[in-house]
Amino acid sequence: MKSNMATTVHTLPHDRLQEDVWRPLRETSTRYVITVLLVGAVALWGLFCWGYQIHKGIGVVGKNRPSMWAFYILNFVFWIGISHAGTLISAILRLTHAGWRKPVTRAAEAITVFCLMIGGLFPIIHLGRPWIFYYLIPYPNQRVLWPNFRSPLVWDLTAILTYLTGSVLFLYLPMIPDLAQLALHTTGWRRFLYRTLALGWTGSDREWHALERAMKLMAGLILAVAVSVHTVVAWDFAMAIAPLWHSTIFGPYFVVGAIFSGIAALLLIMAVIRKFMNLEAYLEPRHFENLSRLLFLMCLLWLYFTVSENLTAWYGNQPHEMQVFGTRVRGQYAPWFWLMVVCNFIVPFVLLGIRRLRNITTISISSVCVLIGMWLERFLIVFPTLAHPPLAAAWTTGYNPTWVEISIAVSTFAAMALLYLIFSKLFPIIAVWEYRYVPDE
Amino acid sequence: MGVSLVADQPKAAEHRWGMAIDLDRCTGCEACVVACHAENNLPVIEPAEAARGRTVHWIRVDRYYEGEFPDVKVKYMPVLCQHCDDAPCEPVCPVYATYHNPEGLNVQVYNRCVGTRYCANNCPYSVRFFNFFEPHWDSPLELQHNPDVAVRMVGVMEKCTFCVQRVQRGKRDAKEAGQPVADGAIQPACVQSCPAEAMVFGDLSDPESKVSRLAESGRATRLLEDLGVKPKVFYLQKAK
Amino acid sequence: MDRRNFFKIVSAASGGLVTGACGKRGEQLIPLLVADRDVVPGEESWQPAVCGECDAGCGVIVRVMRGERVIEVKGERLREPVACIKKVEGNPLDPVSGGRLCARGQAAVQGLYNPDRLRGPMRREGPKGQAVFRGIEWPEAVQVAVERLKRARERDPQGIVYLAGPQAGSRARNVRAFLEALGAPPPVTFSLADFPLERKAAETVHGWQGLPVYDLANARYVLGVGADFLGTWVNPVYYGRQYGHFRQGRDTVRGTLVQAESRLSITAQSADRWVPVTPGAEVFFLAALGKLLLDQSLARNAGVLPPAIAEGFRSLDLAAALKTCGVTEHRAREIAQELGRSEAPLVIAGTSEVHTNSLQALEAAGYLNVMLGNVGRPGGVLPPANDAANQRPAFTNVVPLIAKAQVLILDGVDPAYTLPAATGVRAALEKVETTISFGPFVNDSAAYADLLLPDHHTLEASAAVVPAVTPGSGVMVSTAFVQPLYTTRATEQVLADLAKAMEVEFQPIAARAVAQEIAGEGHAWDEIQQQGGFWAERQAEKAAPPKPAARGRAAAEPPRTLEVSAASFAGDAAQFPFHFQPYLSVQHLDGRGANLPWMQEMPDPTSSAMWGLPVEIDTQTAGKLGIKNGDLVRVESAHGRLDAPAYVHPGAMPGVLSMPIGSGHQHYGRYAGRGANPLAILAPVWESTTGALALGATRVRLAKLGPEKQLIQFAPIDREHGPWGYR
Ligand SMILES: Nc1nc2c(c(=O)[nH]1)N[C@H]1C(S)=C(S)[C@@H](COP(=O)(O)OP(=O)(O)OC[C@H]3O[C@@H](n4cnc5c(=O)[nH]c(N)nc54)[C@H](O)[C@@H]3O)O[C@H]1N2
Ligand SMILES: Nc1nc2c(c(=O)[nH]1)N[C@H]1C(S)=C(S)[C@@H](COP(=O)(O)OP(=O)(O)OC[C@H]3O[C@@H](n4cnc5c(=O)[nH]c(N)nc54)[C@H](O)[C@@H]3O)O[C@H]1N2
Ligand code: SF4
Ligand code: SF4
Ligand code: SF4
Ligand code: SF4
Ligand code: SF4
Ligand SMILES: [Mo]
Repeated sequence: MKSNMATTVHTLPHDRLQEDVWRPLRETSTRYVITVLLVGAVALWGLFCWGYQIHKGIGVVGKNRPSMWAFYILNFVFWIGISHAGTLISAILRLTHAGWRKPVTRAAEAITVFCLMIGGLFPIIHLGRPWIFYYLIPYPNQRVLWPNFRSPLVWDLTAILTYLTGSVLFLYLPMIPDLAQLALHTTGWRRFLYRTLALGWTGSDREWHALERAMKLMAGLILAVAVSVHTVVAWDFAMAIAPLWHSTIFGPYFVVGAIFSGIAALLLIMAVIRKFMNLEAYLEPRHFENLSRLLFLMCLLWLYFTVSENLTAWYGNQPHEMQVFGTRVRGQYAPWFWLMVVCNFIVPFVLLGIRRLRNITTISISSVCVLIGMWLERFLIVFPTLAHPPLAAAWTTGYNPTWVEISIAVSTFAAMALLYLIFSKLFPIIAVWEYRYVPDE
Repeated sequence: MGVSLVADQPKAAEHRWGMAIDLDRCTGCEACVVACHAENNLPVIEPAEAARGRTVHWIRVDRYYEGEFPDVKVKYMPVLCQHCDDAPCEPVCPVYATYHNPEGLNVQVYNRCVGTRYCANNCPYSVRFFNFFEPHWDSPLELQHNPDVAVRMVGVMEKCTFCVQRVQRGKRDAKEAGQPVADGAIQPACVQSCPAEAMVFGDLSDPESKVSRLAESGRATRLLEDLGVKPKVFYLQKAK
Repeated sequence: MDRRNFFKIVSAASGGLVTGACGKRGEQLIPLLVADRDVVPGEESWQPAVCGECDAGCGVIVRVMRGERVIEVKGERLREPVACIKKVEGNPLDPVSGGRLCARGQAAVQGLYNPDRLRGPMRREGPKGQAVFRGIEWPEAVQVAVERLKRARERDPQGIVYLAGPQAGSRARNVRAFLEALGAPPPVTFSLADFPLERKAAETVHGWQGLPVYDLANARYVLGVGADFLGTWVNPVYYGRQYGHFRQGRDTVRGTLVQAESRLSITAQSADRWVPVTPGAEVFFLAALGKLLLDQSLARNAGVLPPAIAEGFRSLDLAAALKTCGVTEHRAREIAQELGRSEAPLVIAGTSEVHTNSLQALEAAGYLNVMLGNVGRPGGVLPPANDAANQRPAFTNVVPLIAKAQVLILDGVDPAYTLPAATGVRAALEKVETTISFGPFVNDSAAYADLLLPDHHTLEASAAVVPAVTPGSGVMVSTAFVQPLYTTRATEQVLADLAKAMEVEFQPIAARAVAQEIAGEGHAWDEIQQQGGFWAERQAEKAAPPKPAARGRAAAEPPRTLEVSAASFAGDAAQFPFHFQPYLSVQHLDGRGANLPWMQEMPDPTSSAMWGLPVEIDTQTAGKLGIKNGDLVRVESAHGRLDAPAYVHPGAMPGVLSMPIGSGHQHYGRYAGRGANPLAILAPVWESTTGALALGATRVRLAKLGPEKQLIQFAPIDREHGPWGYR
């Protein structure tokens, strides 16, 4: 294991690193252009679908009574979950001074920002009247109308906006030295862009200290915010008295799930940029190895929470909860439930648990499985409960997503890719200065 | 409209509206269901949409079969908004579009509703209905619309209001007559129509009102009582 | 609303009533309320009327307010103020409806404002049955009708056939007078909701004319046999009200209801016990009860039974009878004992499902009431308060009449929908030289019409209606209080126009005259009009002394015997293993409510189906044939087949398929038409004495077609706990 995964980056001359990392900013391949056009088209299709939905009415989606929440909320939770890839992980690694984090942090932090932007859009897409989404925002007005601060949705909005602000800062602050460097080496609009964003960074000691202190502080804060965000997302469900939603375990369960899917997403994106941006030398197998250990740990934690959740429901045997539990593990939704278990536990447990099997390919496979599994987990939380409210007379035949919902969901993946592609074209995907400035421990 | 909406409200409301439904009288005829449509301008949902579970019935008659042939029994239960005193639909609404009025009604403010549908998830009785599309009436069906009741637009939640327009009118009439609201003077449309007189509406804060007496009777139960949401609809069980 | 307030509003409203026939300015037509509060003039008034959604004739009050409609004048869209009907409620003064209404009555206003209503007279353009019409003006319409009637009259006045709705009152009287003036035969009726057998049995057992009135409210133990009196039998509002009182209206007494029926009807669902009876074997069950009551001396009034009848009961082979009807002896004895011991026992028998031997069952039930001594007693069976025989068209099998008609007039009936295809009714309709339809809609029968002369909607019309059942004699009146929405014309008016053009002597009798006649002198018209009718005091309260049974019968008639014989069924039992029971639905009754969107989306009380009604299949049969809820199935008789979604009914009798009537119209507007018409596949089997269609006399077979999900259910789950209940 060690033998085939051991090359190190710090022996490389810094200039070579900068060259490799900056190359994608200068050179644009046809492959890149085609990809951008492709994902751009898909993202535009999604926008069109949303327009269509607003024009026709929210009824073009498959929701009904009692399945009032569905695809959009599920995707919301999923994206917010993945958003934990970045800031949270990078903050943990920063606070624990994990030196191997260096090539990973920026890629991760960017994921967070884009996931939040996309995830945060879903609740608005989901609204019956999205054009007045701002009623949820507490702003002073002549009618003295405030949002209801008792509503988890208002907490949600606050938490997500805070997390987004924090994440943007967290991504931006450590980018400043790189931006200043870039400004020196570019011309035209790029130079203008980088210079503006570099905020006159000169690289003085005072500035470096300030940055370091800011990053420490931010890392601590963002950790708290990230945990609270997904807890609040969990509370959207747990605060409702719907069967199997009303559970104290949901907060930590969601946080664990979020980190789980976040790491998977990060690993996957790392594998992709490693391959397509030729950064094999910097994103080393050992980085994958270390992160995959974290993934493995989350996999076990996920199992623990999943067993706790379902065992208590089953043992408690309350009729209303049993309906949901039953359809989930034995009825209509059982195939999805067991597929989720395979994706979230069996596959990563085997591929990551057995050392001989662990390499970048299997780690990527595990990550894909975990992403699918975590998507299914959200599906299994949202649907069976809503379809089986306490009074059986209100159950309907179920919910099927329509082409509008599926289009919008798919297009958000394209939007994510698009944002990432644009980002990687404008900003270095690895923090170059971290190699230069901060001594390895 | 004053500056403060809260300060203008009376300290202790004079009334607390509630309902009793006698399951021993109810025949499951669903006159109440149609009466509510007529009174409250409920939208007509076309078959394709009905097949998707979007029909709107502010009051529905739940029917459950018990046992197997030939010893089969049927349980009918008209279910409308229970106007829960601790209504779980209310705190979750981010914009106060659904709230508790001083007389205990769970009220829906259509103008305010942004359509999160959270309240519907949190209503254990599944009595909240959503306008998935702009409602439509084939002309001239709209001539029947009750001008006392707003037609709801696309994207907003709606539900039984205890016929708040009739409550308001009843109070106005009593005020003009200089008398207290007489027991039974206010009848929501469903109550009014029920042939078996299975439903009784009235003031729970008046211990002498018919609904109070029925709510105190040994046959009174509340739906999903263990949830503790304190519904104000009392179901009188069949008795021998 | 109490009586005092009601009077105040109605009288004030009537005081300002203006009903011009073709006023230009809508404002004039708005009833002006003299506001004694801050009610704005013209804001709202309540007007009495009569519900026309079934023939029960409940009294209603109607909320009238000012509204606006969009009209087109020379290509310009204008808003025109009109008086609009906003809500229909029961008339609190009417002892029948008592201020309550059934679901169909509530929906009447959707008939008035139905987008598919006829807006004026029309002539046929396309082939018969296709419903292709062209709008014409009234003078032309009248002229054409006159031509056709004249021609028919010259040839043979017997060729003029008038099919009317069964309602008694001013309409039937006018039609009769008109036809008399033409020298044509009197109007006849054919309706699945007319209950001719019940009338016939009341006549043979008690010598009564009309439907007996059951004093359910004061009964203590009720045995219902084949009468879905809380659903669609006679008057569900009247009996529903009584039922409420029967159960919980008395301080110390709660009535017990046992319902014997071959279907778990709404009434059976509400009963304390449901006794499933083999279809068509109700008479065996009733006769067995009679025998048990007599043998065990439980019949307190056995003495007044005609000897031949008593002998008939006594000589019954109990075991064989019970075997035929499928009721255990234990259960039968239990019921006999309970009936015999009850202070106020009552047997309510009816023909919600007509069989060839139904009259026998009704007579047996009548004699049970006689021997239980409840005839004319509170809590018993009371004589009809209205002798309305001369006010209503006679019931008859109309197929032969249509076949030989030269001019066929359709008024409130839809034979093409309500009669089995095998009767050849559609072919007969096609052959009629001239068909005139007075209905406000094009239904399956009017599609064959040559001339549509649309009547006003009942809520726009003036009428006096004699209710089918009523505790005391009475009449309901409605006076036109809103301007008709379209250029429709009251049928009475059309008849008068025709008579004038044909130069025959006919003057329509006004609702007022009919009402006045029934109310008798001493009741001012104003008062009758304001109340919405006239009602004599309730009979049960007068505590009429029990009338010895059969007293009213002419002495010359030969003594009757108790007949107990098996019903006959069409279709070989081996080939067609299932009984098929179409039944009057709560939503659409005999199909006439199918054009009302509220009725289409009202969940069926049994299956929760909306927009198209299913075949109800018992769980055993469904299991055997692999049929799941919502599957498409084919029901096939020797006379036709239908494809409809299945509802797997936990309470259906094995081997008996039931299906609510109302779906599967070929015409009747945009809301009707989904689903299948169960009547179409019936065998042309008739009850022999009355000519009533034997609804339940057809045997069928059943096959699963596929899993197409045509069934739309509001609540697909019919068990309180799902499949994943307690471990
Ligand atoms: N035709 C006609 N015109 C009238 C009247 C009438 O009866 N008929 N009445 C008159 C009277 S008395 C009045 S008071 C005025 C009222 O006139 P407006 O003030 O225009 O009243 P609304 O239409 O009820 O509501 C205004 C808007 O507020 C939005 N709203 C609700 N909650 C919020 C929130 O939290 N934030 C923001 N920004 N918007 C919110 C609603 O969605 C709605 O679009 O109209 C006057 N004009
Ligand atoms: N669902 C819903 N409800 C609302 C609102 C909403 O947007 N949606 N808006 C709210 C608002 S902002 C308002 S202001 C209220 C308005 O509510 P109301 O004050 O009830 O308003 P109106 O119904 O327009 O008028 C009241 C009465 O005054 C009568 N009137 C007219 N002129 C005169 C006169 O000269 N003298 C006297 N004595 N009476 C007269 C009218 O005929 C009418 O009967 O509604 C509130 N209620
Ligand atoms: S109208 Fe009355 S009897 Fe009929 S279903 Fe409603 S509550 Fe029951
Ligand atoms: S029944 Fe449902 S909608 Fe009504 S108050 Fe209770 S929780 Fe709210
Ligand atoms: S749907 Fe409307 S009423 Fe319900 S929670 Fe959302 S905003 Fe509030
Ligand atoms: S109280 Fe009024 S709004 Fe509520 S169900 Fe009855 S009729 Fe409908
Ligand atoms: S029973 Fe119903 S449909 Fe028939 S007259 Fe009465 S209210 Fe109308
Ligand atoms: Mo206002």
